[in-house]
Amino acid sequence: MSGDRPAEEQPARLGRRAFLGSAALSSAALGAAALAGCTPDRVPRVGPGRRVAFLGERQPGIDTPAAHFGLLAAFNLVSDDRARLARSLRDLTDEARGLMEARPPARRDTAYPPTETGILGPGMRTDGLAVTLSVGASLFDDRFGLADRRPRELVRMPFLANDRLDPAQSHGDLLLALSADQPDVLLHALRQLMRRTRDNLVLHWMLDGYNWPDARPAPGRTDNRNLLGFKDGTANLDIADRQLMDELVWVGADDGEPAWAVGGSYQAVRIIRMFVEFWDRTPLNEQQKIIGRDKASGAPLGKDREGDDPGYAEDPAGQGVPLDAHIRMANPRTPETAGSRILRRGFNFSRGFDAAGRLDQGLAFVSYQKSLAKGFLAVQARLKGEPLEEYILPVGGGFFFVLPGAPTADAWLGQRLLD
Amino acid sequence: MGQVGRVVAAVGLGAVLLLAGCGSDDGAGVRSEGAASGSGTGSASGTGSGSGLAGQDLSGTTNDQQVLKAVADYKTWVVAEVDGLVADTRKFTDAVRAGDVAEAKRQFAPSRVRWERIEPIAGLVEEIDGKVDARVDDFEGVTDPEFTGWHRLEYHLWEKNSTAGAKTFADGLDKDIATLDQQIKGIEFPPPAVALGPAELIEEVSEGKITGEEDRYSHTDLWDFDANVDGSKKLFELLTPALQAKDAALTAEIAAGFAAVDKSLAAYANSGGTFDSYTALKADDKTRMQAELADLSEKLARIPGVLGLKG
Repeated sequence: MSGDRPAEEQPARLGRRAFLGSAALSSAALGAAALAGCTPDRVPRVGPGRRVAFLGERQPGIDTPAAHFGLLAAFNLVSDDRARLARSLRDLTDEARGLMEARPPARRDTAYPPTETGILGPGMRTDGLAVTLSVGASLFDDRFGLADRRPRELVRMPFLANDRLDPAQSHGDLLLALSADQPDVLLHALRQLMRRTRDNLVLHWMLDGYNWPDARPAPGRTDNRNLLGFKDGTANLDIADRQLMDELVWVGADDGEPAWAVGGSYQAVRIIRMFVEFWDRTPLNEQQKIIGRDKASGAPLGKDREGDDPGYAEDPAGQGVPLDAHIRMANPRTPETAGSRILRRGFNFSRGFDAAGRLDQGLAFVSYQKSLAKGFLAVQARLKGEPLEEYILPVGGGFFFVLPGAPTADAWLGQRLLD
Repeated sequence: MGQVGRVVAAVGLGAVLLLAGCGSDDGAGVRSEGAASGSGTGSASGTGSGSGLAGQDLSGTTNDQQVLKAVADYKTWVVAEVDGLVADTRKFTDAVRAGDVAEAKRQFAPSRVRWERIEPIAGLVEEIDGKVDARVDDFEGVTDPEFTGWHRLEYHLWEKNSTAGAKTFADGLDKDIATLDQQIKGIEFPPPAVALGPAELIEEVSEGKITGEEDRYSHTDLWDFDANVDGSKKLFELLTPALQAKDAALTAEIAAGFAAVDKSLAAYANSGGTFDSYTALKADDKTRMQAELADLSEKLARIPGVLGLKG
């Protein structure tokens, strides 16, 4: 399944391990590449011109290189009309593609409103923008006649351990997950996508934030830290390992899912509030035992380096990494739990403070997996009762299913679902 | 973020060159007008409590006879509405002055209907909107003497259930509406301002009525909602011949948009022209109406472009 994206667009993804994260790359070299032609494999992999390919059997934003900023926007549909849903999906597809491919906007007489926001200036910056569209369980209710096409495991996210899900920031018919290296690109994209779909899409909740993507992504190390101050993503899946992606992330033809869903992925979204003031006055020793890593280096407790194996088999009593540490419960690293590994692509958020004067900060957790039961839910079940629960509170999110990609210029997201 | 900054700076030149090579000269990539048709954005200002047209340079003009006729007919209609407004307002203020709280409450919403139909264009009369239709949010509090007009009276009637201290505001409202009546006839209606009117009125609904903020004490927001839509539709109908000639598809889409909004609001209309309380508005209906109004706004915002009217 690795040859499903048009060949000339592949290098824009990380699959070739060709990500150029070095600032040493000369601007002259990039400029020459750009002038030589505008084929996507010549666009820069860093900076304002970074592009992620839109067309493909799978949607971008999952196994494509991470970006600095993220935004989630959940929508509900106004109309029960299936044809109108199809039109909205076509419009979203066209707009997302135009944004990601830096399509120049139409020019109109100045008596018209401008066709685009203008917040990015006259250039067509993309900054690595990726638009990922997914659908919620509610899309498969009785409104659109899609009940018999529901992905097998797609249900409304139940209250899980420790949850206090607020209906005003949970679930939704559709979810747009945007990521880019600059926040203004996300705001531009959101406004353009929304103005194309005003008649049918109504915002239900949204959240934005940042993370610290690795300049040179590699398994076993990360620069990213969550708002608890710990490295987050050290043991994340290697998105360059296509076999691993097929094994754990992408729905395949043999997974027992509806045929239309092949090339999609289950998406678990959790808006996790962190009680950061409480955390900040917790002893460092306690914080490290709760997480299971050294706070500064990221090394598993009892080990020297971030990338070291925690060695659980040799430490059954938890003298290094405690048995109830977050990383040990989440991923015990046994053959039996290898199948429950998930791809995480979340971001940190900060949105003011609550009525008690406490900062409203946390993690927009987003994971992708081919099975919720084997992936996110298995991890979540193991984490139930972890000591970290005292410091965090899941307040929203939902389960969604990422639609298969649009492989050709005339295809649209959700086409196989609705046809 | 320093790390990011350095990377961006290092490739800045490359990006410029890239844009030079892939820019908008490539006509093949330019979005067609059709593709962008869903993208017109509301340019209406929707600021504060109304008079979005005030202060704009609206000196532009047109030779389109259909547009000029629509503007002239619109002015005639507005002048007649203001005449009616004087009488409607008087029924309300008379009840306040008579100390008849129940009758004043009955007359409050009806007295505002003609005002809400013409609100943006009435904003061409300087400061009128702030005097007669400002909300308490524009002031430090309800006791601010500058807080006058309908909503000051609404506060007295519903929050205090009394006309005590309200008579001076009733007199003031009559006086201000009389000023509007005198001045509106002499005011020039610039075609670009008129062309923005339908969008302005729907923006009013989206910004203040559908949220229940306009008539927060009486909850008669749906009366204002209906009046704004009526005023917008009236102006659209007058402009229809001019629009039809230039963009029949958009004209049909706008007509369908009004029909959708009217249908949704009809569920809350009663015989005798009264409307249910805003508190009766169901959450699902409100959400649907918001989308219908937003979609209509996007389309109405293209009217000045279609008619080639620049302010």
